[in-house]
Amino acid sequence: MKNGYKRVKRMTATGRIIHWINAISVLAAVITGLYIAHPYYQSFIADPAVDKYVMAWNRWVHFIVAILLDVTSIIIAYLYFFSRFEKPYKKIIPTGKNIKEFVEVVLNLLTLNRRKNFDSSHNDSFNTVYFTILHLMLAWMLLTGLQLYVHGLGSGLSSIGEWWPAMLHLVTDWTIPVTGGTLMDVRISHHYTMWWIIAWVMFHVYYQIWRTIYWQEGDMAIVFGGSKFKKEESK
Amino acid sequence: MTDKREAVKKLFTEKSARVDTNRGDIYYQRLYAQCKKRLEELKKLEPLGNKVELSEVLSDEGYDRRDFMKWVSATTAMLMLPSFFEPLVAEAAEVMNRVPVIWLELQDCAGNTEALLRSDGPKIDEIILDIISLEFNETIMVAAGHQAEEQLHDAMETFKGKYLLFVEGAIPTAMNGNYGTIGPSGETFEEHLVRIAEHAAALVAVGTCATFGGVPAAAPNPTGAVGVMDIVRGKPIINIPACPANPANMVGVILHYVLTGQVPELDSLLRPKFAFGYRIHDNCERRAHFDAGEFVEEWGDEGAKNNFCLYKVGCKGPMTFNNCSIIRYNESVNWPVGVGHGCIGCSEPDFWDKYAYERPMADANIKAPTGGVEKTVDEFGLGVLTATAVGIGIHAAASALAGKKSDEGEA
Repeated sequence: MKNGYKRVKRMTATGRIIHWINAISVLAAVITGLYIAHPYYQSFIADPAVDKYVMAWNRWVHFIVAILLDVTSIIIAYLYFFSRFEKPYKKIIPTGKNIKEFVEVVLNLLTLNRRKNFDSSHNDSFNTVYFTILHLMLAWMLLTGLQLYVHGLGSGLSSIGEWWPAMLHLVTDWTIPVTGGTLMDVRISHHYTMWWIIAWVMFHVYYQIWRTIYWQEGDMAIVFGGSKFKKEESK
Repeated sequence: MTDKREAVKKLFTEKSARVDTNRGDIYYQRLYAQCKKRLEELKKLEPLGNKVELSEVLSDEGYDRRDFMKWVSATTAMLMLPSFFEPLVAEAAEVMNRVPVIWLELQDCAGNTEALLRSDGPKIDEIILDIISLEFNETIMVAAGHQAEEQLHDAMETFKGKYLLFVEGAIPTAMNGNYGTIGPSGETFEEHLVRIAEHAAALVAVGTCATFGGVPAAAPNPTGAVGVMDIVRGKPIINIPACPANPANMVGVILHYVLTGQVPELDSLLRPKFAFGYRIHDNCERRAHFDAGEFVEEWGDEGAKNNFCLYKVGCKGPMTFNNCSIIRYNESVNWPVGVGHGCIGCSEPDFWDKYAYERPMADANIKAPTGGVEKTVDEFGLGVLTATAVGIGIHAAASALAGKKSDEGEA
């Protein structure tokens, strides 16, 4: 560690594992989801029949990463309120302090780091709001995706029993009237939300790099080693 | 608003969309006894207007008893009844002329009537629809003007509370409904429907126009077209969408009514579950090519010659619930996907705007969430990404120019 800096723990091992599962899952879901929406490469080749399962494999990968995202979403929803490390919900309650911090972080970004009136060593309100937006979008993908998935279980049966499609109908059927009344509207919404998530990821990655360069506190290290660094107050 | 809230509430309280194909022996024994009793009662009634015997018409058309019984077993299976119901279904078909039917023609192309009339040779489904006691049908009746009006009045009086009302076509509501008027008194379609529906035993909306507004209701819907269930309240309504509705499903609904005196089990869009409980995609003969990733890229290409999947030329089988991939049309002769054109989702609400664009959804011009401009979903998405990238680019360039200096020391 460079002299004059102290280590600040920002992410637990669980948090980092979840982050990378989510990152890889979102990437895989986008690659396979774009194929499912519009098959962009062909399997129109003289392959042996045993290899020709392209759409099915794409859908398989899409569903597996969807289930991974569903599981991490449930864990994150729990940690949001009950984490022993940091409870993110505390940073999203619109108290005067949080609003002030949120505005200061935005101003820091807009003034190109000319103004920095907040403690950047701890998780700030802006980051928490941004994090919450992603997880709301992932929850929406979960609900609309399961609604699209249950269309294939018209018989009401599934390999794990009748409760599964019945539960999916109960939990996700409301997405039909909310998106516009037809099954296609659910699909359109699922597809649009993907683009917003990609845009979210673009800014997220950019902002982390930008902070690392301009704040000079090693923010990029958080997601790998769990800690960032802060200049000692004494200096 | 209240309607929407009701609809959401209904969705939450709805039994799952599952189709129960086996309800157990006790249920079917009881249903059998009940149907038997009802058929005995119907048999005692005189046939209404149409006094022809089904067996005679069938033999005139060149069908023997064996053909008829084959149709009976298929129809029994379609209605999801056990095979010991076959004698009852046969009897029900024979007494169908005891149930009076009034058929209205509103804002549409008459395609459902045409589908019945123009088949190359009448199939048994269509013959059975021929011998039902059709008391009034605006499209094919001889009478006109006051004479037709009088006939309608007579039918309504004679069979008050007993007739099945079949409705074909949407109902225009814009401009006080004056986009469609009918009869010598210039009644609007809406008034006409409400007046006749009042004394009907049940309503059957036939075709997508009558169920969800269909093509007349496509954007921008100048006539304010809506379906029957948006106009008529407090009556049992059965929706048989599709463009045109499959005669087999119409016969199925009438047979069910004749057999049990009740409407069949319906889904949340009021469609009979026996016909609309399954997704087209799951019973499609081209499904294996979908899973294999073998798609028709353009009409008539090598893939099309090899019966590849039509998903990339816009097939909407994966989002459409109907039984055409199972029972097909014209007594199982063929169906759209079978002849090489993808499904256009004609039995789903808003199908013309949201399903029938002959390309995958991601490439279709759909109104962007901002309204106004029609863009494909992917164009809109790439627009969002471009805007994000431009924003990031400007910020990054400005940051680079401004340098790493922070005002910490100066503040």
